[in-house]
Amino acid sequence: MNKMFAVLKREYLTTVRKKMFVFMTIFVPVLMAALFLLPGLMVARGIGTKRVAVIDGTGELRSAFTRVNDQAKPDPKKPLARRRGAELPQTIDVDYIDARGHANLKETSQPYLHRISSDDKATKLDAVLVIPPDAFEGPEAKMTFYSRASTDFFTQERLARVANKSIQLRRLSKRGIDADAVDALTREVPIDGVQVSKSGEEKKGGEGNFIIGFLFAALLILPSFVHGVEIMRGIIQEKTDRVVEILISSMSPTELLTGKVTGIALVGLTQISAWLLMTTILGSFGAATAMLAGFNLMQFLRPMVFVYFFVFFLLAYFTYVCVYAIAGAVCNTDKEAQQMIAPVSIIMMLPWFMMLAIITNPDSNLAVIFSMMPVFGPITMFVRTLVSDPPVWHILVSIAVSLVTIALFFKATAKIFRVGILSYGKRPTVPELWRWLKVA
Amino acid sequence: MSVVLSVRDVVKTFGSVRAVDGVSFTVRRGTITGLLGRNGAGKTTTIRMITGIFLPDSGSIEWADNPVNANDRVGYLPEERGLYRTMKIVEYLSFLAEIKNAKTTTAKIEQWLRRFELSDKKGGKIEELSKGNQQKVQLIGALLHDPEFIILDEPQSGLDPVNMVLVRELLQELRAEGRTILLSTHMMAEAERMADDIILVHSGKVVLSGTLEEVRNSFGRNTLHLDFEGDGSFLAELPDVRDASIQINSAEIGLKEGADPQKVLAASIGRLRIRKFELAAPSLEAIFMDKVGAETLENLQ
Repeated sequence: MNKMFAVLKREYLTTVRKKMFVFMTIFVPVLMAALFLLPGLMVARGIGTKRVAVIDGTGELRSAFTRVNDQAKPDPKKPLARRRGAELPQTIDVDYIDARGHANLKETSQPYLHRISSDDKATKLDAVLVIPPDAFEGPEAKMTFYSRASTDFFTQERLARVANKSIQLRRLSKRGIDADAVDALTREVPIDGVQVSKSGEEKKGGEGNFIIGFLFAALLILPSFVHGVEIMRGIIQEKTDRVVEILISSMSPTELLTGKVTGIALVGLTQISAWLLMTTILGSFGAATAMLAGFNLMQFLRPMVFVYFFVFFLLAYFTYVCVYAIAGAVCNTDKEAQQMIAPVSIIMMLPWFMMLAIITNPDSNLAVIFSMMPVFGPITMFVRTLVSDPPVWHILVSIAVSLVTIALFFKATAKIFRVGILSYGKRPTVPELWRWLKVA
Repeated sequence: MSVVLSVRDVVKTFGSVRAVDGVSFTVRRGTITGLLGRNGAGKTTTIRMITGIFLPDSGSIEWADNPVNANDRVGYLPEERGLYRTMKIVEYLSFLAEIKNAKTTTAKIEQWLRRFELSDKKGGKIEELSKGNQQKVQLIGALLHDPEFIILDEPQSGLDPVNMVLVRELLQELRAEGRTILLSTHMMAEAERMADDIILVHSGKVVLSGTLEEVRNSFGRNTLHLDFEGDGSFLAELPDVRDASIQINSAEIGLKEGADPQKVLAASIGRLRIRKFELAAPSLEAIFMDKVGAETLENLQ
C-alpha cells in the first residue's frame, strides 16, 4: 500500500509540476471558449462590415436601405429573436442607387460589379444587389445578388429579407392598406425551445444546451486523451531508462499500475476541478450577460450535472488510461506506441464524432445503445443526462457496464504489464498479446 | 556460513534462445559472490529472476528465511541507468526508499551523497549528472534502505579509478557489516580483489564455481607471474611453456606438466631485468580465458 502510494505521489507531483500541465489547465478553457464562440460570433456578425451597392430598378425602396437613425445601435437587452427581421443590420453599409427608368440595368450595374473585384480599398464593394424594375408586379421578377464569395449567404439572406419585406409592404399599401396595419398583421411570432423533464422543470433555449453539451463533452474526454498519452509515454520512458526494473523488483505489477493510474486520475481531477472553477467564475459573468440577453445559462447547469460530470469523467478516464497504459507496456518507443494507439484512439473517439447526432437526438436508439456500451458509454451517457432526462436505469446500467469494463481492462493491463513491460525488443503481435493474457 | 540464497536448476528461454540453461548456485551469508561471464552469458537474466523481474520457466529461487517481503530486504543496482532523469536527486532517492517500505531522512540521504562526493549536486536533477555520478546515485538508491542482500549488476561500469576504489572499499565495508553481496561483473581483476566466491557463467550454464581460492587452486599452482624490463616476447617460445600471456612489462606463463620454473628463469636472465618472479595459481583472467575464451575461439574457427 505504501509502495502504491509512493508511485501515486511521484506520478501526481511530476505531472502536475510540468509546464505542459500548467499551460493546459490555464489555456484550455480560454481556447475552448474561443473555439466555440468565435465561429458563432463570426457568422453572426460577419467579419467586419460589408459594403453593398443596391441598384434599385423600381426606385421606390430607398427608405428600406437607408437607416432612419444611423446612430441606432442594437439593443443588447432586446433578445435577438424579438428584433424585427426586416431591419437593415448594422454590419451592412449600403450604397443606394436609384435606377428608375434605366433601360438596361445590366449596363447600370456594370461599374459596380467591377468594383467587387477592384483592389482599391476605398471603392471596393463586397456585393451588389440588383432589384429589377418589375419587382412589384412581375410574376417572373428576380433579384440578383453578386458577390465575391458565393458562400456569403448570410448577407444575401439579410438583404433579400429587407428588400422583400419592403416590397410586400409596398404592394399592400398600393392596395390601400395602411403601413402600420401591414406591420401589425405580418408580424412574426418568435419561437422558444423548451425542454420538459419528468420532474416537470422546464428549461429554455435549445441552442444554449447544444453548445454546453459539446463543451462539457470536450472537457470530459480531453484530459483522458492528453494524460493517457502521458501515462503511455511515462511507461515507455521507464522502460528505456530501465527504472521499471527497480519498480518491478520492489512491488507487484498491480501495485505499480494502481499507483500510476490513480496518480494520473488525480492529475485529471485536479485539472477538471480547476477548469470547472474557472468556468464557474467566467460563467457567472457570462451568465449575467446572457441573462440580460434573455437567456438563462444556469438552467442547464443543475448541481446534478456536476455530479454526473465527475462520475462519468472518472469512468471515461480510467477506461482510456488503461488502454494507453497497455500501449505503453507493449511498445518500446514513443513512435511505435503512437502508431499502435492512433487507430484505437479513433475508435474510442467515436462518440465524439457522433456528438451532433447524440446531442440532437439524445433518446434515439443510437444514443441509448452507445450510452450503455463499454468505452463509449461514459461520454455518451453524460451528454444524454445533460441535454435530456434519461431513465435512471439507463444511467445505472451505463455506470455498471463501465465499472466492469474498467475492472477487466485493469486486470488485462496488469497482466500485459507483467510480461510486456520487460520484453525489450520487437513489439508483440496480437496473437502474442493474447498468449500473454492467458499465460501471465 | 549459512546459505542465504539458493538458485536451483533455473531455466529462462526467450523465443528460441535459452538465455539461462539450468543454472544452480548458492550464496553464503556475509560474503561477496562474483557472478562472472562474458556479455550475453546469462548473468543479467539470472539476476532479473532473482530480483523477481522475470519468472523462471523452470527451477526455483529460494531465500533462506523465506521472508514475506524478500524484495524489501534486497538492494538492486540494475545494469543500465534505471533513473528518472527529470527528477531531483534527493526526491528520487526518497522515492526509492519509499518503494522499499523504508523510512529515510534527508540527513541520511545527505550523508550518503557526501560519502560519494555528490553533496554539491544534491539540489540538481539527475539528467544534469555525468554518467559516473548517475551510477553513484543509483548505487546509493540500492543501499539507502539498509538491505541485507545487495545485488549489483556491473556496479563499476562508467566509474573512474578513484570511484572504483571508493566502490570497492564500500563493498568490503558492507560485507564487514555482515551483508551479503552478489556482484555481477566481467572485470576479472575487480572480482579477484573482492570476491570470496566465484560463479562463472557461460552460454547460460555455470562452468565453474566455488571459493576464489578453490577455483584458482584447482588450476594448479604452476603458473609463473613475472614482472620485468625488456622484450619478453621470446618467453612464449620456451620449451617448458604451455601458454603465455605477455604484456609490456609482465607475463603470466602456464607451465607444462612437470616443467621446472627455474629453467624459465635461467633463460630469462641476461635477456630481461627480472623484478618479480612468483610461482602461484593462475589469475582469474587466465582461468576465464581458459574456460570461456578458448571455447569461443574454437567456435569462431
